[in-house]
Amino acid sequence: MISAPRASAPVPARAGLGLRGPHVPEIVATRPPIAWLELHPENYMSEGPGLAALERIRRDYPLSLHGVGLSLGSAEGIDRTHLARLRRLVERLEPGLVSEHLSWSVSDGVYLNDLLPLPLDEEALATVARNVEAMQEALGHRILVENPSAYVRFRHSTIPEPEFLAELARRTGCGLLCDVNNLYVSCVNFGCDPRGYLDALPAAEIGEIHLAGHFRTERQGRLLLIDDHGSRVSEPVWALYEHALERFGAVPSLIEWDREIPTLDVLMREAARADAIARRALDGADRARVA
Amino acid sequence: MRSPVAPSMERTVPGLHELQRDFRAALLAGDAAALAPFLLEDGMSRECRLDVYRNNIRGSLSAVLAESFPAVRRLVDARFFDYAAQTFIAARPPGSPCLHDYGAAFPDFLAEFPPCRELVYLSDVARLEWLLHSAAFAAEASPIAAAALASVPAEETPALMLRFHPSLGLLESAWPIDRIWAANRPGRESEETIDLAEGGVRLEATRRGGTVMLRRLDAPAFAFRSALLRRSALEAAAAAALERDAGFDVAAELGALFREGLVTEISR
Repeated sequence: MISAPRASAPVPARAGLGLRGPHVPEIVATRPPIAWLELHPENYMSEGPGLAALERIRRDYPLSLHGVGLSLGSAEGIDRTHLARLRRLVERLEPGLVSEHLSWSVSDGVYLNDLLPLPLDEEALATVARNVEAMQEALGHRILVENPSAYVRFRHSTIPEPEFLAELARRTGCGLLCDVNNLYVSCVNFGCDPRGYLDALPAAEIGEIHLAGHFRTERQGRLLLIDDHGSRVSEPVWALYEHALERFGAVPSLIEWDREIPTLDVLMREAARADAIARRALDGADRARVA
Repeated sequence: MRSPVAPSMERTVPGLHELQRDFRAALLAGDAAALAPFLLEDGMSRECRLDVYRNNIRGSLSAVLAESFPAVRRLVDARFFDYAAQTFIAARPPGSPCLHDYGAAFPDFLAEFPPCRELVYLSDVARLEWLLHSAAFAAEASPIAAAALASVPAEETPALMLRFHPSLGLLESAWPIDRIWAANRPGRESEETIDLAEGGVRLEATRRGGTVMLRRLDAPAFAFRSALLRRSALEAAAAAALERDAGFDVAAELGALFREGLVTEISR
């Protein structure tokens, strides 16, 4: 099968879905009305049959590549071999958006399969900025950097996370991916105000929003939220999403679901709810501007 | 005047590289002594907070192994599999975020893992599952037709070398591991009894049209194909096959490799 490569369409300011393996055959076969799709590049780096399916999908949907393994926060720098694999995939799929996380997962070449927290200080800021620049240079693409869910903080952190992200964007020219669920999870876990966090982010740099489910648990008599992408978006996160849109304006939003993955129609209903909230929030924001 | 500082606060904050090493030790080896002074408790013990990350890492990597080795998991039961997986993850954590590559070393680990020493066939069943997994994820490549052989002068034929479709894999075992695997694969579990005395097998995995196929080969064909796959010249591969069967038809067996769509390149 030979077809000329075509640049993926730009990702629209609507709610898209995270592409997950079990849904690929249905999406290829029925082409359901989904505004755009986001995928983890690490799942498609073997150049096997999965990639062939993606080349089909990219003809029908705008794509975003959301990396989980580059480890932008690693003091040892980013893995050039992995960066080269990512570049090949970007060249092949021509995604409208490329993103990664404000976290680390590689230490001395060992890959710890999670988004681990950074101390938020000048050394970490310089490290992440250097790695973001290397990534943007290698890909020839502006990237978005996402706030992670966190469960522990460092005693020597000196910079609040939204300011850290704002300064990272200023230094490197990268954009930001605001994960409203992660922001809520971290704020509840550390007793911070999620709206205050949102209001401290630089609105002009927000290129995408993520939405997902978390679960509530109790440890040592204290509430702990764990971000597991295993359920519907929670009500407080929907409320925060509306507030985020009022501040950031129209941006692409994404429903992520990774554990106990439901049928595609459940995800499409979550996306429809996000679109409905966006219409209401943006109408309200327009009226506020007119008044 | 400096105020007195508590001993734990006197520790110099390590550089990020060292801090990440300490964090890794806390997660993989469970030793948080070096890291703990630099973490805030925020009303909950540091161990409790680190456990969230430990569970995320162990749980997700265990799930990766369980997905690649479902028959091994059924043979030893889920609880033991989880124990073996945790031990493996701590000893051999991934070196790349491409997790479809993670688990290549698991069969060798099982072979050396004392608690399953009595299951003599277990590591070979794991090798078979890895062979099938690798065939499923292997890169795409276009096969060439036997007509390509016409361009090779007769005197150069003995030195011919072939490249194969990346999904092709060969495996030999002293046990009937294909039958053991078939009786324990997901969705097809059976309680049939397999006699280990049936003896060994020589197996070939390939992917055709997106489907992974597994079949047995006889000793001469296995010797021929494995020699070629190891990049031996045609003459040496033919000799290895003829040693096992003086009647081995080299021309026909060479043609079969092309017919089966396995050859992607010939070289001399």
